[in-house]
Amino acid sequence: MQLDFLVLFEGNNFSALMSGLWVTVTMTFMAMLLSSCIGLVVGLSRMSSNRVLSTLAGCYLAWFRGTPLLVQLMILYYGLAIGMQIDLSASMAGVLGLGMYSGAYVSEIVRGAIQSIDKGQMEAGRSLGMSHWQTMRKVILPQAVRRMLPPLGNEFIALTKNSSLLSVITVSELMRAGNLIVANNFRYFEIYIGIALLYFLVNFTISKVISYFERKLSVEGARA
Amino acid sequence: MIRVERINKFYGAVHVLKDVSLTVNKGEVVVIIGPSGSGKSTLLRCMNYLEPFQDGSIFIEGKPIGLIRRGDKVTEMPQAELDKVRSEVGMVFQNFNLFPHRTVLENIIMAPMTVRKTSRQDATALARDLLKKVGLSDKADAYPDNLSGGQKQRVAIARALAMKPKVMLFDEPTSALDPELVGEVLGVMKELAADGMTMVVVTHEMGFAREVADRVVVMDAGRLIEDGPPEKIFSNPDNPRTRLFLSKVLSHEA
Ligand SMILES: Nc1ncnc2c1ncn2[C@@H]1O[C@H](COP(=O)(O)OP(=O)(O)OP(=O)(O)O)[C@@H](O)[C@H]1O
Ligand SMILES: [Mg+2]
Repeated sequence: MQLDFLVLFEGNNFSALMSGLWVTVTMTFMAMLLSSCIGLVVGLSRMSSNRVLSTLAGCYLAWFRGTPLLVQLMILYYGLAIGMQIDLSASMAGVLGLGMYSGAYVSEIVRGAIQSIDKGQMEAGRSLGMSHWQTMRKVILPQAVRRMLPPLGNEFIALTKNSSLLSVITVSELMRAGNLIVANNFRYFEIYIGIALLYFLVNFTISKVISYFERKLSVEGARA
Repeated sequence: MIRVERINKFYGAVHVLKDVSLTVNKGEVVVIIGPSGSGKSTLLRCMNYLEPFQDGSIFIEGKPIGLIRRGDKVTEMPQAELDKVRSEVGMVFQNFNLFPHRTVLENIIMAPMTVRKTSRQDATALARDLLKKVGLSDKADAYPDNLSGGQKQRVAIARALAMKPKVMLFDEPTSALDPELVGEVLGVMKELAADGMTMVVVTHEMGFAREVADRVVVMDAGRLIEDGPPEKIFSNPDNPRTRLFLSKVLSHEA
């Protein structure tokens, strides 16, 4: 069989891949938002002096980091539907699954960045009469966010790649679109190379966006 | 003004402040000296409850800070109340602790706007006055990273003053500075003292103590071992440990 990359454009192939790409992008984006929220809440809770909160956050981290994403997705989509009659749509289960899994990693990024800020910053804020939360919001978090950006970039790229697992729970994202085409024409090489390039494009964009924000924040003076 | 009554402080099992009592009157400048590890910073930090203590009480203008007792039950005071007392006690740190992501001006107006709800306009006007006072009018829009150590410390003093504190606490404010920059910070502190600010200063600058202090207190191994006017402490101390400490630092200084 001759290699022929034109198969990518044969029939409906290209538009199928593009709509798969669109689903991948939107689902990953929503999962990123969810993951960031979860990461912030869980990360802050882990550092809380409230024992119940920090224990709960610790359990969250241990579970979602300690079990495979694929298994979590199976539980969410098939397990809940059959075991507990909670019938999530595939994309709902997908966003939830990706977001909760990645949120565990983001929580560690949040915690690491906050703890890397000199503790004199919190003391200075408190000594001026600002509350713990006021100091957190105005002094600690703005500095921590900049330190979170590089590891957050890595995490979001990993999240995009992990979204290919959603094909297993029938989400019609890029990987699944490719699988369907390959099942018809057996052009494994051309199709998967095409898909790889599309994933690469998404991740390249993410890394550019992250380094844009990194630059922007450092121009504003936060060299620390 | 400040009344420290028999406080005891432990780090785990280590007893770092032992029955320390100290009164600072309004307008007084009290300098705390003593060997490294004797508990000077810890005592100072207890005065705004940045460091919790386990026993005793500290009053700022008659109001307790940190611990409150009802009958014979001692509890930690609610955070909101603690923040309120703290807003009246300014603190200057050895490492400045300026907020590096904000300009000098923003560093100074943050707390008044956040805590006192002062309008941006009023806070800015006050900040510019304070910057003038510490001789840094031209640095309002600079970021802390672009200042020298002495400039940073003067900004830190202005930032603390912006809350109009009743007392200022200084923890070795010149120890992190190059020798040629020490003078400009001490100069600002002298002016502050001359304006009648109540100040408690931990320092190794014996010249400053001699010249500006109304009283010098000496700490050793978690205890306050001597308290008196600088002339007496430096020339004729009662406690032999004071004499030993002074002989070491003064010989080093000369
Ligand atoms: N976080 C901590 N945990 C345990 N021990 C501590 C802690 N901070 C201080 N100490 C101990 O408490 C004692 C008093 O420390 P402190 O910093 O108050 O001394 P200091 O008089 O300010 O000394 P220096 O002149 O070196 O600043 C020291 O023995 C120190 O080792
Ligand atoms: Mg000290």
